[in-house]
Amino acid sequence: MKKILAMALSVVLCIGMMTGCGSKDGNSSSDNGDAAKVYNIGICQLVEHPALDAATQGFQDALKELLGDNVKFDVQNAQGEQTNATTICNAFVADKVDLILANATSPLQAAASATADIPILGTSITDYATALDMSDWSGVTGRNISGTSDLAPLDQQEKMLLELCPNVTKVGIIYCSAEANSAYQARVFGGYLEEDGIAYQEYTAADSNEIQTVVTNAIQDCDVIYIPTDNTMASNTEIINNVCLPAGIPVIAGEEGICKGCGIATLSISYYDLGYATGKMAYEILVNGADVSSMEVQYAPNVTKEYNAANCEALQIAVPEDYVAIEVEE
Amino acid sequence: MLLAIRIEALINALPGSVAQGLIWGIMALGVYITFRLLDFADLTVDGSIATGGAVAVMLIKNGMSPWLALVFAFCAGMLAGLVTGLLHTLLGIPGILASILTQISLYSINYNIMDKASNQAVSVDKYSLVASLRYVNAQGSSRAIFFAGLFAGVIVIIAATYWFFGTEIGQSIRATGCNEAMARAQGINTSFIKVLALMISNGFVGLCGGIYAQYQGASDINMGRGAIVVGLAAVIIGEVLFGKFCAKRKLAFGFTLFSVVIGAILYWAVYAIVIWLKMPSEDMKLFSAIIVAIFLSIPYLKGKYGRKGVKKNDKAVQ
Repeated sequence: MKKILAMALSVVLCIGMMTGCGSKDGNSSSDNGDAAKVYNIGICQLVEHPALDAATQGFQDALKELLGDNVKFDVQNAQGEQTNATTICNAFVADKVDLILANATSPLQAAASATADIPILGTSITDYATALDMSDWSGVTGRNISGTSDLAPLDQQEKMLLELCPNVTKVGIIYCSAEANSAYQARVFGGYLEEDGIAYQEYTAADSNEIQTVVTNAIQDCDVIYIPTDNTMASNTEIINNVCLPAGIPVIAGEEGICKGCGIATLSISYYDLGYATGKMAYEILVNGADVSSMEVQYAPNVTKEYNAANCEALQIAVPEDYVAIEVEE
Repeated sequence: MLLAIRIEALINALPGSVAQGLIWGIMALGVYITFRLLDFADLTVDGSIATGGAVAVMLIKNGMSPWLALVFAFCAGMLAGLVTGLLHTLLGIPGILASILTQISLYSINYNIMDKASNQAVSVDKYSLVASLRYVNAQGSSRAIFFAGLFAGVIVIIAATYWFFGTEIGQSIRATGCNEAMARAQGINTSFIKVLALMISNGFVGLCGGIYAQYQGASDINMGRGAIVVGLAAVIIGEVLFGKFCAKRKLAFGFTLFSVVIGAILYWAVYAIVIWLKMPSEDMKLFSAIIVAIFLSIPYLKGKYGRKGVKKNDKAVQ
């Protein structure tokens, strides 16, 4: 019985290998018609998420425009687990890809552990120094890593909060405690508030189940809520909106997705643009031979002031002229 | 020709799976102790693996030797096991629930261990880590030394486990798992034994977490999510594929322990194949759950429908 089972399993595996190879074979031979070098790029994305998806898309679009058919992508998703990111990055190194795109912090750490030679570009990463355990940060990593940061200009976001809610007495900063990037933003944002003499308090939820309680608790003490670019919050804006809007508490959001769901305004960076900028960096490295270790980490190319028309109206907040309304799908 | 290149890519990826499997094999041994020897479904591991990682990384960042940090990772895991054990034996909370309670509480504890951060990086460029994915892909001797060391370490752990479960206390753990009432009738303090087994098991899991955090270059609050499934998969794949092979030998128990580690290696090898085939890795969770379900059900279905075959085998053994 066991022998039969073992044999059956091996047969399945063999067939799997053959079909896998077969299809790859077909794809590659058509590419090989071109004389130019075909670049293989491994993309490791942390989790399915609109912002991260947009960054991956932007990266691919940039390289497809610049390289046409001479680039092949191997897009892998780590399902939110660092262990999987490690396996995926190991496979990339084994596959001898020409460049690795690490989309979010855990993939970047896995890739950094996996190779000191293959160029690694990060995207959707807020703080490279923390992610890579570097104590003296100068804008470049000095090793085979560079990329783009999704850090929105927090000082400008803080100014925006004061502009729209001039009577604020205390700000509640809400984020998920499992997200290192959010904690970093909360700390920096809190620092700016402190400079302007405004009280604030941080509230954290461990997972999406706790959000309702945490937000309800926060609005007892605070009259404005700030939410950084937090993946957990971004996936649960409906809950936040249902607590804050009836209570008349405005929410300033760190990114467009959160603002669309529960915020009044945001200073938006586009993850697509961020990915696109990363794609251009990849082109510099692959084709023009740029040295990744001396490439400065780049920030979002342009930011726009955006507002959520429905929520601003409901809360009777006057929005200045230079804000753009976020489009709402019907 | 391209076919050859593709297969080469898989073969190149396999050393990584072996390293990953050897490290997770330590954790699978822990799962084997509770799940098979003690007959206790211990879900603490999802939390204690991250505890081991958090303790090791924080100690290394504060200047401790990466080797010594592993001792503390082991102890931290034992503490987690102690809590589950006490919840179960002292307070009478059902085992699986006690372990879930510990696992949940470890989220907050791990968060605090990691200095109120969800992720702490530890770079191989800065510290001479015990294990790193970098060594796997390095050229020359450092790669060989790493694999030899890892393999030797696992063998030492298996040997120690084999020895321990041959001692009186070890035998008591196995007796308690087989028939608790009978064990108690023989004068074994089964409550103490359960706590002890849970501590040893979670010690292994913590040790695995400590090594694995170094291997991947960071400890993360979510690094244990789903770990129990990997551990169970390793135990069960090892048992089903090598159970018969082990049963007829001298040192059968030692071979069984070894097969658990092989099971962990196979688990990660399958994962590497999934990625290599460019199958959607999003479906991997479903895939691993199905594998575990199939392998778990095989012994049962065999008992139900394959009685003739089983009887024949019994005769052959006698």
